[in-house]
Amino acid sequence: MASTAATRAASGAVKVVKPIFSRDINEAKRRVRDLYRAWYREAPNTVTLYQLDISTAQARDKVREMFNKNKHITDPRVIDMLVIKGKMELEETIHVWKQKTHVMRYFSETETPRPTDFLSKFYQGHDP
Amino acid sequence: MAARALTQCVRSLSRSTTRLYQGSVVARSSSALLISNDRTFSAISCSQGARRIEQSRISQLTRQYGGLPPLTIEAIGERVMYVLKLYDKINPEKLQASSHFMKDLGLDSLDQVEIIMAMEDEFGFEIPDAAAEKLMTPEEIVQYIADKKDIYE
Repeated sequence: MASTAATRAASGAVKVVKPIFSRDINEAKRRVRDLYRAWYREAPNTVTLYQLDISTAQARDKVREMFNKNKHITDPRVIDMLVIKGKMELEETIHVWKQKTHVMRYFSETETPRPTDFLSKFYQGHDP
Repeated sequence: MAARALTQCVRSLSRSTTRLYQGSVVARSSSALLISNDRTFSAISCSQGARRIEQSRISQLTRQYGGLPPLTIEAIGERVMYVLKLYDKINPEKLQASSHFMKDLGLDSLDQVEIIMAMEDEFGFEIPDAAAEKLMTPEEIVQYIADKKDIYE
């Protein structure tokens, strides 16, 4: 019993769970690449359709930025879920179910960084 | 090739008499029409006189098709390297035919996807993702395109 516990700990305790779409990480990466292709090809059409004041290069950089935000994820199910959400966004953008403001929200999203030193925390309010 | 034939036509016609001055304009326009890889036609129209040029122009009621020049492996290689040099994330000095995108040039997997899409746009046919994820050097891209377009030495 000690030996089986040791082997289980040594193997990293991998659980087998029901996948969403892809069975392993390579399939999930393939889906990500397909989604990236679709967004890359869609970016200039979006800029024209919604009459945005940005260039195609800026739109493509923003697409790359959104993909890079989730670069670190390794769980195939999480990747599948993110791909599904990305596909939903793409569908809404292609069919013009969104409006200009929704598309520009990708660009104006700013998070104010949390204060680190005591005085900034004091000015912001008591936030332990 | 066709441009050289055209300049020869123009020179030979301008050397002829002034009576043929109107004919040379006709010849220039007709050889401009025939510029699509049809050296024999333009040569014939140049060697004959102005009247013959007009006659041959009327009798040449043949259909002319446009098309691309035939691809060779060197031509594919040149176009691939040209497109890669235009890509702003690649340093054109470091780029060689055998440089690996990820290991030598330090590119991302998404950058490689962008490069493959640029190749799709350049050569005009779809490269499916299952094959595209394995193309990691310009050499492999050239070989893949030559395979798909049935071009061999």
